[in-house]
Amino acid sequence: MKVLIIEDERSMALEMSSFLKKASYLCDLAYSAKQARHMMEENPYNFILIDLGLPDLDGLQVLKEAKIICPDASYIILTARGDLEDRIKGLDLGADDYLPKPFSLLELQSRMQAISRRKSGLNDSVVPIGDFTIDLIKRLVFYEKNEIELSRKEFDLLSYMLLHKNRPLTRMQLSEHIWGNFSDDDGDSNFIDVHIKNIRKKLAFHASVEWLQTIRGIGYKIKI
Amino acid sequence: MKLLSKLTLYITLSKLAIVLLFILLLPRLINDVAFQYTNYTLQEQKKEVLYEINKNGIDYYFQGDSSYGSYTLLKEEYISLEPAGRGITRDTIETSRRIVENDTLTYRVLIHEFEFRNKKYMLEIGKTIAAINQYNQPLQRVALYVLIALIALTLFIDLVYTRLLLRPLGIIINTRLVNRRFPFKEHLPLIKTTTKDFKYLDNSLIDLMNKIHEAFDKEREFTSNASHEMMTPISILQNKIENLMLDNDLNEELQEKIMGIMKTLNRLKSIVRSLLMISRIENDQYVKSERVNIKKLVEEVMNELEDRLEARGIRFRLSFSNDHILQHLNRDLLFQLIFNLVNNSIRYNKENGEISITGYLDPDKSYRLLIADTGVGIASKDLDTIFDRFKKSGPAEGEGYGLGLAIVKSIAQYHGMRIEVKSEYGKGSVFSIIFPKELIVKKTE
Repeated sequence: MKVLIIEDERSMALEMSSFLKKASYLCDLAYSAKQARHMMEENPYNFILIDLGLPDLDGLQVLKEAKIICPDASYIILTARGDLEDRIKGLDLGADDYLPKPFSLLELQSRMQAISRRKSGLNDSVVPIGDFTIDLIKRLVFYEKNEIELSRKEFDLLSYMLLHKNRPLTRMQLSEHIWGNFSDDDGDSNFIDVHIKNIRKKLAFHASVEWLQTIRGIGYKIKI
Repeated sequence: MKLLSKLTLYITLSKLAIVLLFILLLPRLINDVAFQYTNYTLQEQKKEVLYEINKNGIDYYFQGDSSYGSYTLLKEEYISLEPAGRGITRDTIETSRRIVENDTLTYRVLIHEFEFRNKKYMLEIGKTIAAINQYNQPLQRVALYVLIALIALTLFIDLVYTRLLLRPLGIIINTRLVNRRFPFKEHLPLIKTTTKDFKYLDNSLIDLMNKIHEAFDKEREFTSNASHEMMTPISILQNKIENLMLDNDLNEELQEKIMGIMKTLNRLKSIVRSLLMISRIENDQYVKSERVNIKKLVEEVMNELEDRLEARGIRFRLSFSNDHILQHLNRDLLFQLIFNLVNNSIRYNKENGEISITGYLDPDKSYRLLIADTGVGIASKDLDTIFDRFKKSGPAEGEGYGLGLAIVKSIAQYHGMRIEVKSEYGKGSVFSIIFPKELIVKKTE
């Protein structure tokens, strides 16, 4: 998967690329619209991440041009402007998603995965986890043929942890994912614990859930 | 009382007082004038009589008699002449009775003593009081009518003029002050008037409002710019920390430290995000065109907060008098408003406490949503400031930054809703959201 990051804040771009590289994406960086145009003309990309606040050209304009040069790529708009109109305009112009800054890199990756999944069809949507299987599109969890009923948030949590398996996830990161802007001010919300407890209870009825680990003082991790 | 009413009242009453005073004084005045004038005529007549006597000699009148008397047919006037007695009589004018041919009448009488050829004589000229006063009544009446007509005319002119004069003031009050709301956004044209005071007042008001608006704009702009500017560094910091967390070489101790940094950053993020939201609301960036089933919205909020309720063992009760639909709203903002209030009532509740949410149509046609909790309550000294930015009140266990209620206030103001708080320290609080009747969809629609 090849990603073009169009972002004028260099350190921001570097952090994104370093994170995505670990998740086996290939990243190119462009710090201006002009540079981005060059790169898009030279290389094909699966993903193009566009910051709206570029120095030489408005991000929405860049998106318009990019859609012509790379019509097959998936686009995610990144912005600190946070104007509500930008979101609507961006999606109207054909962006696949919109992520207001500051965002979590985990969130970025999960959005990218969701887009891939949407575009590629059902191929990799059923994932095994321990003795269970999860259907990410239909949002179902199975033990053998038995469906296990999880609430919406419980499923969101489980699939998010699964996506970022083998990484320690803090309660804050988890709470930000399932609540977004409604996440509580106090970071160590123990509400996440309630959900995890419920997930464990529901799954452990069928088989071991040792893969869902608690990391003391931090949060949780799915270890496979 | 309005200035115009006061002036109208004053003008009318003062004129009425003048009329009354006049009615009271008029008879005396006219009587006085009549008497003065009679006195004067009597004096004049006396002069004429003396002149005649000098010319004709006194015997011309006496004709052998010892006295002379003459009166008109109706005895309204008389003149008598006779030799004076021994005593000294002064010249006087008096009102006294005289018997003329068996009729006793009251006269105004002039008595004059004079010498003619070394003999003393006494002259009396009289005029009946009835004759003197005969024009008083009609005069009084005419004077009164004229006066009343004049007063009515001036009253009318005064009132019309006052009304015209004060009209600019009325316009100033109606367009500048009544129903104007902070921060006075719309610009209004100057009011046309030739009265300097009103011009000054109008200019000053417009100046003042523009200044308020400018100050508000600056604050708004600053909040918006500052929070936007902060978002990028926060963003970078967050991503750096996230990458750091993924480093496999980290030991547990370091991980926990990074976690601490993350927490602090989260606080910062939450503050900036809230400020941004407030500034967006104040910048009118939200469209208010949605209709909302308030009961369903509250249920959604409760659903969203289910885990937090569960974590603290809090029970809740919803009761709605009817399914009311509200309009001209931004659904997301209303959700946020209710979310913040309910979230607070969870956060500041006691373990295993209760929350009850009630929605009903008030007799005054507004819709009320009450959110009551059995929490720690708010000290009365804090009640005035809980909606201010960065005022944290209540013994919060977690770290709240007082922006939740500031957002609530902004959202309420933006929609023209009111928020009322009643609280008893240690027992709980009741937050009421009052939706004005314009926001309620009528059942027939």
